Amino acid sequence: MIKVIKREKIPQKLLIIIPIISILVGLIIGAIAMIIVKINPLIVYKAIILGAFGSWYAFTETLVFTTPLILLSVGLIMAYKISFWNIGAFGQYILGAIFSSYFALFGPQNLSRLITLTIMVLLGLLGGAFWAAIPAFLKTYWDVNEVLSTLLLNYIALNILRYLMYGTWKDPSHIGFPLSRRFEVNAQLPRIIPNSRVNLGLLFGIIAALLIWFILKKTKFGYRISVIGGNPIAAKYAGINVINDTIICIMISGALSGLAGMVQVSGVLHLLQIEINPYYGYTAIIIAWLANLNPIVSIFVSYFFGAMISGAYLIQLTMKVPIGISSLIQSSIFFVLIGSRFLINYKVVFEKRSKK
Amino acid sequence: MNTSNYQLIIITLLSVAVRSGTVILFPTIGEIFTERSGVLNLGLEGIMLISAFVAFIVAFYSNNPYIGFLIGILTGGIISLLHSYICITLYGNQVVSGLAISIFGSGFTNFYGSNFANLKLDNPLKSFPIPYLSKIPIIGQIFFNQDIIVYFSYILVPVMWFLLYKTKIGINLRAVGENAIAANAMGVDVYKTRYLWTIFGGLLAGAGGSYLTVGYAPFWMDGITAGRGWIAVALVIFSMWNPLISIIGAYLFGSLDALQFQLQVMGTKIAPSFLAMIPYLTTLIIIIITTVVLRVKRIGVPKELGKPFFKEEK
Repeated sequence: MIKVIKREKIPQKLLIIIPIISILVGLIIGAIAMIIVKINPLIVYKAIILGAFGSWYAFTETLVFTTPLILLSVGLIMAYKISFWNIGAFGQYILGAIFSSYFALFGPQNLSRLITLTIMVLLGLLGGAFWAAIPAFLKTYWDVNEVLSTLLLNYIALNILRYLMYGTWKDPSHIGFPLSRRFEVNAQLPRIIPNSRVNLGLLFGIIAALLIWFILKKTKFGYRISVIGGNPIAAKYAGINVINDTIICIMISGALSGLAGMVQVSGVLHLLQIEINPYYGYTAIIIAWLANLNPIVSIFVSYFFGAMISGAYLIQLTMKVPIGISSLIQSSIFFVLIGSRFLINYKVVFEKRSKK
Repeated sequence: MNTSNYQLIIITLLSVAVRSGTVILFPTIGEIFTERSGVLNLGLEGIMLISAFVAFIVAFYSNNPYIGFLIGILTGGIISLLHSYICITLYGNQVVSGLAISIFGSGFTNFYGSNFANLKLDNPLKSFPIPYLSKIPIIGQIFFNQDIIVYFSYILVPVMWFLLYKTKIGINLRAVGENAIAANAMGVDVYKTRYLWTIFGGLLAGAGGSYLTVGYAPFWMDGITAGRGWIAVALVIFSMWNPLISIIGAYLFGSLDALQFQLQVMGTKIAPSFLAMIPYLTTLIIIIITTVVLRVKRIGVPKELGKPFFKEEK
């Protein structure tokens, strides 16, 4: 008969194999989805790969898509380590973009580039931290469910952005789609690869990943985070200030999402608009889990997803395959991943039926 | 405008509010039962979106909104079966599985729905005024001049309330959600109960999504559910897991939704995006207040909510 028993030791091999299998199964599900509507998945996948790596330009564009994903997923890892279900990277990203754009659009224009950008980075961090602080306070003081509060705040953030873009922040010289005025050069993050949109944000992402890895692994604060994440009540009895640590941890989480928003407007678009792709905030949730909540691994997973999104944008343009295929594949990967975590924690044994 | 004009506007507004509320009422009731069994389904938004799409497509091609509605409901059940399998059989993380469903829903409908954007149903649900009742001034116009699915929801709510509090099925369900080990010892099949009510919740989420595209707003648009699935999850807390209270929440949301839409149509000076924000902001405020009230009154979340049940073999 088949029995399911808890594993005592987690097999390290499975931690690597499972994400890879999840990705393969996700791609197969995506292929099936395409076959149903008579799209040849091989042609599409080939186009996605070419769109992501087929030329120097394609490669740099992949890095452009990777950049916000690293910042967002690393931020989310902080939250998930403390068992706070931050689904609000979407909104925190928007607030970061709004805060930093405010300075670029309405702040003094005569400051040096270094000072302008430093202030914008700080405002981006602040915007995200502020938006994350709301659910963090609500959760720690009043026990308000953070999944719902962060999600509802996403919709609120999106409407704030729309309100500004259709209102006073819209550049009147643009007809049609609302865009802000273009940022001055001083408010643009420097590009680090010539003739591409790859900007300093990529470095921010890598530094953030290393820094968060260091905080989580090597500091007392990181240790407290894992204790609280494991069991908040035990942490409280151990004398940890759970409320303070949680709020700080979540504000850091939000700050990194806010920075991702800042990088997108200041490094890639050079203006604020409604289409700043806050949906990366949801993709980053999948990345964080696929990376098994390891900030350094998430750099590479972000790169993989960056390639998929970059390629998917290209096939939408050239082959009219809707961009939704990308999130369809991503979420299928996610499903398989969650389902197969079962194999990490439990093992299935077949044994002969014993006498009762 | 004279008084009768105002009266007409308010009656129209409230009758739209009932329909909009019905879209939310179904998934809220379903989720109440799912959560009562100890399973959290955060996939409502994705389930509603996919069901809304399937219902629309079926109704579009069959020219029959009722067939669309039924197939949409079934779709919701099938998706929630997947959630049940991951959360109940594989002890997967319920929050993460629900999120995966919601992300899948937006990807799926964007991928398959792009050719249907802005198409309308020629033959959406029609209103059937109930004889006599619809003649009652004001109330009759608001509540009894609706379509069959709205009437169905009027019956569903008290039936589900009765089932939950007055029957053996309801007692077993609540036992599983409050203390799965004890329920198991009493001979209740925890796995079966959870599967059943998670699928039931999916069917009702499917009903809400389908009603959206065959009744309330009979057209297709990318992301048409606009967070209603999340609002339904929030309203479960507001309802304190009681189907009767969920009516208040659903119709309150329906009124706000109808009001912001009406104000936009009438062309007020208030920015549309600000109006669109109101339902979410109100929902947020509502869950804050309810959570605090629940704590003060010591009414709790079903104790097993979100926890997988692992039956140890002896």
